Amino acid sequence: MKQKPWWKDPVRMLCALCAACVAVVVVQKVTGRIDGVAMLIFLLAVFVTSMYTDGYFWGVCTSLISVLAVNFAFFSPYLAFNFTLPENLFSGVVMLVVSIMTSTLTTRIKKQEQLRMESEKEKMRANLLRAVSHDLRTPLTSIYGACSTVAENYDSLGKAQTLKLLQDACEDAQWLNRMVENLLSITRIDSEKVTVQKTPTVLEELVDAVLVKFGKHYPAIPVQVELPEEFIVIPMDSMLIRQVLMNLMENAALHAEGMKTLTLRVFILGSRAVFEVRDDGCGIPREKLRTLFSGTGGTDPSAPADSGKHGMGIGLSVCAAIIKAHGGEISAESRPGEGTVIRFSLETEEIELEDGEDEQ
Amino acid sequence: MSNNKFKVLIVEDEANISSFVEMLLTTNDYQALVAHTCTMGLTMFASHNPDLVILDLGLPDRDGLELVRTVRQKYMTPIIVLSARTDERDKIEALDLGANDYITKPFGTGELLARVRAALRLNRYQNAAGGAPGGEFRAQGMRINYDRRKVYIDEQEIRLTQTEYNIVAFLSQHAGRVMTYAAIVRAIWGDTDVGSTKKLQVNMANIRKKMGSRPGSNAYILNELGVGYRMVEEEAEKQPPKTAE
Repeated sequence: MKQKPWWKDPVRMLCALCAACVAVVVVQKVTGRIDGVAMLIFLLAVFVTSMYTDGYFWGVCTSLISVLAVNFAFFSPYLAFNFTLPENLFSGVVMLVVSIMTSTLTTRIKKQEQLRMESEKEKMRANLLRAVSHDLRTPLTSIYGACSTVAENYDSLGKAQTLKLLQDACEDAQWLNRMVENLLSITRIDSEKVTVQKTPTVLEELVDAVLVKFGKHYPAIPVQVELPEEFIVIPMDSMLIRQVLMNLMENAALHAEGMKTLTLRVFILGSRAVFEVRDDGCGIPREKLRTLFSGTGGTDPSAPADSGKHGMGIGLSVCAAIIKAHGGEISAESRPGEGTVIRFSLETEEIELEDGEDEQ
Repeated sequence: MSNNKFKVLIVEDEANISSFVEMLLTTNDYQALVAHTCTMGLTMFASHNPDLVILDLGLPDRDGLELVRTVRQKYMTPIIVLSARTDERDKIEALDLGANDYITKPFGTGELLARVRAALRLNRYQNAAGGAPGGEFRAQGMRINYDRRKVYIDEQEIRLTQTEYNIVAFLSQHAGRVMTYAAIVRAIWGDTDVGSTKKLQVNMANIRKKMGSRPGSNAYILNELGVGYRMVEEEAEKQPPKTAE
């Protein structure tokens, strides 16, 4: 539950009491009589206080003060206490009961709210798990199938067939590995709540690492790179941001049909570095663009992915989670038939360079 | 040596992994020995005196880092660390303790063999030359003349500052090995204050610029993000890129 400053509750109580006093005085001025109404108005104050404060204490407090105040100011020996009147005692008991019951109710409601939120989170996690296990099973099935086919029919299979089966297994294992890398990234964020461990990373080296890795997996796809000339340092978890760039470029490579150029562009906007992965492929339909980063696009069983490869939604929702954890923003722009741009921005670090270098 | 095969000690508790690595090494003309625990690894190291150790960090009895520490007290045998952990800190610790290289699981066979070859070649070279700088270093189009403190690329001299030259020379003396930021800083500046990694990175950026490297195609000094730098090996053979990474 959220922690609020300690003084919030007493202030609320005082406000309720003051409002009640004012109301009673006004009523008295208007009608001339007060006896019956005063009690009701203070009862309302007790109710309001119990509702908007935590626990029983402030509600009970209000009811006691109310009983005393009404007794003191608004009952027949005015401006004096009189505890002999039985209705005073009754009204006091009624106020106490009202305050305790209201407090109990509100506490229970708050608890239920919390439970509901937790179960919602649980449900989301379960959904993710289900989607992930489904996505993991597909390549596993094919790896298992290919390997057992080779192991059991070694003599009867031709060399080319064996090779084909094993290559497929390799490919699926690599896909599986990428999936697991994404999942690891998620746990890395989850375990450290919203903050990630940032180390100053040189932009050029980050991009270099991404390009080397991308080139290993997709040697046939050339990447246009546009970087700023300056030396730029960005505090980040470099492993995670590398994963984001890999995911984005991989998505373009796998899903953007008819892509001719893939561009990775970084530019500086104020104190932020904006990363842009742009392709000129088939684009993303508008309906899908909205839920692109929520993880529901690719994992919702009712919306089968129209592209052959699976698990796209998870990759992008991982990207969004990583960027969010870095305090950055991610957005997508796409025109069907023209291509897609995915953009995210990160805060850069101020650097002061000492240029006291000696030329040789 | 009775036969001229290199002896490789594999310390790995996962039977499947050790058996595939063993098979891979045997078919590529290495003699492979397998140990499943840290203790067993140390015993076998003492009795067989291998040319190379491939070490998994997550062992059942003790942390693999201990084996690195123990071996390094007496021997310069190259050690390649296998790590399932994606955490940079483990790699850096292993490298700083004296491991020569690391490879993250899952790895492709081509990648592993390349690292094995590199580590063995490095050791042979160091044995012959005693690791002392002097003479020349050649890798692909780059040539370093240690006597005249000059660096050439495709026979064009590259004008480096003192610091930049020192970094390049230091990396070349440990070519093929990943040098952590801390190790380089210690060697060049002797201190490791907070800003020194950044100093190194700035110098590195200048070196890359002068060498004409573009992101994604750093030909001479490879960048291991978050860990350190590695210079390509001397007289590197042109290996055909393997399909499996």
